[in-house]
Amino acid sequence: MAPEVKQPVESNQAEDSEELFYAAAVQILSEDLYPRKLEIIREYIQNGSDALDDWLKISDLVPGDRTEPQIKVSIQGKSILIFDNGIGMTEDDIPKLKRIAYSEKKVGEEAGYKGIGRLAGIAVANKLKITTTSYGDPKLHQFEFRAADMRRDISTKKKQGINEPASPVIQRHTSMWWTDIDPTDHYTLVEIREIKDSCDELLDPDTLIEYIGEIGPVDFSPAFKHGTDISEKLQHFVPDYSPKNVYLSRSDGKKVRVFKPYNDEMKMATPQFIEIPDPDNAGELLAYCWHSSNAEEILGKMRPTGRIFQVEGEEIEERRRFAGLVYKLFGFSVGDRSLPERTLWTTARARAQWFTGEIHIIDKNVQPTTSRSDFIENVARAKLYGEAQRRIPLLLNKLAQTISDNRKMFQDSKNIKQKLEKVKTQLKDGGIERSDLKVIKEELDKSFRKLNTRKNTSDKEIAAFQKEVRRLGESLQTELNDPKRLKPGYSVSDLVKELEMSTKARKVFQIVMETLQQHFSKDSDEYHAIAAKIHKALKDKYC
Amino acid sequence: MQTPKLDTSFDSNPSKDYLRREYDKAIISQWRTELGKLLKYLGLPAWKMLDVIEWQQFMDRFTTIEREENQQHLMFLKANVENVEHRLHSLYGDFDEILLTGRDSYGHTPDWPYELVNLDYFGGFIYADMSRPKAVRKLIQNQAGYEQSFLLIITQQLRDRDTTKEKKGFLTDLGKSLKSGILDTKLHPSVDQIISWYADADIPDCARQTLYMNYFLRDSGEAEHFDVACRPAVIYPGTGGSWMIHFVTDFRFQSGVGHRVASNQSLLELINLGLLEARELGFVKTRFVQPKLSIRKRK
Repeated sequence: MAPEVKQPVESNQAEDSEELFYAAAVQILSEDLYPRKLEIIREYIQNGSDALDDWLKISDLVPGDRTEPQIKVSIQGKSILIFDNGIGMTEDDIPKLKRIAYSEKKVGEEAGYKGIGRLAGIAVANKLKITTTSYGDPKLHQFEFRAADMRRDISTKKKQGINEPASPVIQRHTSMWWTDIDPTDHYTLVEIREIKDSCDELLDPDTLIEYIGEIGPVDFSPAFKHGTDISEKLQHFVPDYSPKNVYLSRSDGKKVRVFKPYNDEMKMATPQFIEIPDPDNAGELLAYCWHSSNAEEILGKMRPTGRIFQVEGEEIEERRRFAGLVYKLFGFSVGDRSLPERTLWTTARARAQWFTGEIHIIDKNVQPTTSRSDFIENVARAKLYGEAQRRIPLLLNKLAQTISDNRKMFQDSKNIKQKLEKVKTQLKDGGIERSDLKVIKEELDKSFRKLNTRKNTSDKEIAAFQKEVRRLGESLQTELNDPKRLKPGYSVSDLVKELEMSTKARKVFQIVMETLQQHFSKDSDEYHAIAAKIHKALKDKYC
Repeated sequence: MQTPKLDTSFDSNPSKDYLRREYDKAIISQWRTELGKLLKYLGLPAWKMLDVIEWQQFMDRFTTIEREENQQHLMFLKANVENVEHRLHSLYGDFDEILLTGRDSYGHTPDWPYELVNLDYFGGFIYADMSRPKAVRKLIQNQAGYEQSFLLIITQQLRDRDTTKEKKGFLTDLGKSLKSGILDTKLHPSVDQIISWYADADIPDCARQTLYMNYFLRDSGEAEHFDVACRPAVIYPGTGGSWMIHFVTDFRFQSGVGHRVASNQSLLELINLGLLEARELGFVKTRFVQPKLSIRKRK
């Protein structure tokens, strides 16, 4: 019997009542959205940061509230807790937490806006608890999402061939409660509870400190002397630049304020700044960039020395983890330090890694992708990349060249100076023989020729140092030309005595040496060098 | 749909507030001075951590044990609001189980040893499985393992049904113990008299519980080389018409001692400690007065 052929059913237009979103999609969304699980923490820091911004807009109107606006991260057991004393959520906001990808945040006004972030924790934990209250609300609200139960439920139903719509599943595995609270309170606490063993990096305070410092809207550390200068510039040029006080509690009971990852131990050069103007709006900026590079103390001052930006560390990757610039939007990193290199540099890409720094995006039409690994492709992004390409790589590549030239010029000058000083000491001690002079002079000439090829330096002090070395060389040359300053070489009579030459041999030897002296009358250094060689050869043979 | 209200009962009451703010605080302050350092705390506070917040000036880090998930979450909130979250070390699970197994539900351990332990029990002390007395003994053993002196505060609900086999057995043993220490047998009747007073089912259980607890703490402590000093138990009205009883006991470790320690406070002194009754504004004259034991010969 021929098998029954099922004809494909022509799909009709979806009826209004048809469920279009199924429970498994929530699971897929939650698990696959964050390949790097630490990014989940960013979502909550971002929500906290927005809540603080919203609170600061009205806090002046609240009498007597002097609490420091802050975000606090702590670890307890298998929970990570993120607390902010921002504006908090109202009673109406709580049920909306169940809505996936629902957000009332406006694009371009706040850091997060996709409405997924608040539930991000369900990807890494068995439970998510959010407790919040807003100023004036006498109720403390709590929302709970039992993610593990939901996962089990979906999985069981799938095995039974049941595809359940998302909404009832979410309803079943979420709860809300409230209790009385002081109406002047305003805060939100997120507890990502029972974090999976596979995501235990989230429970490591050191990892969190470095991660939040690298991606979060935090300030520069007081242990970074250039921090104040950069902050002042950013505050002036970047309208939404408002670093937040973020604290992390360590397991030893210490509370640490999280800062950007820069400090003076990193040996950084004085930062420089690049403005990226908006070609369509005179006087407006699309972005503002600060950058720096490794530095060394040269001539009593920290000067950029070039090469790939490195910090202390064991592995090369660890040492180079801050090499490159990073995009910042509302203070948060977008993409990693390779994104500007990939999007702005077309040639000499390695030069991008000579620098560390940030590109703060001012144009809010530039929007990050959901994964925050790049920006959404749109006109604003194209304009930003275009304008930034015309400035940042050009300036930094040129700067890298200058840094390289300066470093080489200083290094060469320093090497020659060392050689000159050595010769000068030898000369002073009467240790230079007449016969060595030619070789010494040739070596010095060679060094000076090399130095002459490095003519341009933008660094006046290095140029002055080079000049000083030249002058030292010139004066040394004069001294070397003074035979009285040199150790006299062997005389013919000394050798005759030493070798106990016969009268005939003495006469022959004298004739040879006089002929040579005559021959090299214009190059007495050469004569002395040859004479020394002959003396040595004869002594080796007959003594 | 109406959102339900969280049950946040068992917070406090005025008498308990008085004990915490005045009576306990003064003793804790003395311990702080005596030890010359901030005290590390282990306790069972409710989510508002009223004791931790009240005594925080004397305290270093604090370990809390909470077996109810939502209460623990609210405790995290309270710690953040009070800006003490970095000093909080919260374990999740049943106190007795954590003490007996050494780990909480997530495998985390208490941060032994402690200088201040406050066990504010929800319920009584004696249950059929004796888990609470066992856990307290284990606590004392752990402290002894670190040779750490400490102040132990225990609060429990007074439940008359606790007057069962355990207490009867205890009173019989106490009677034997007292008589074995009194060589003059003519004095034994006064011991019998007082033991039968305590054993009488009609007397309020607070008197029996005072004697039981103080004797239990002293016995457990001495066995672990602590010189134990008990204080009069304090009773006060709790929430919902119940009565609470509160013990504050000093455990001073005696280093270099291999044998069982004999506390400076005599057994007689312990039996005669009596009871205090606390109310909102301080201590009041209590109607629960127990007879005193005297072993002096009557002239």
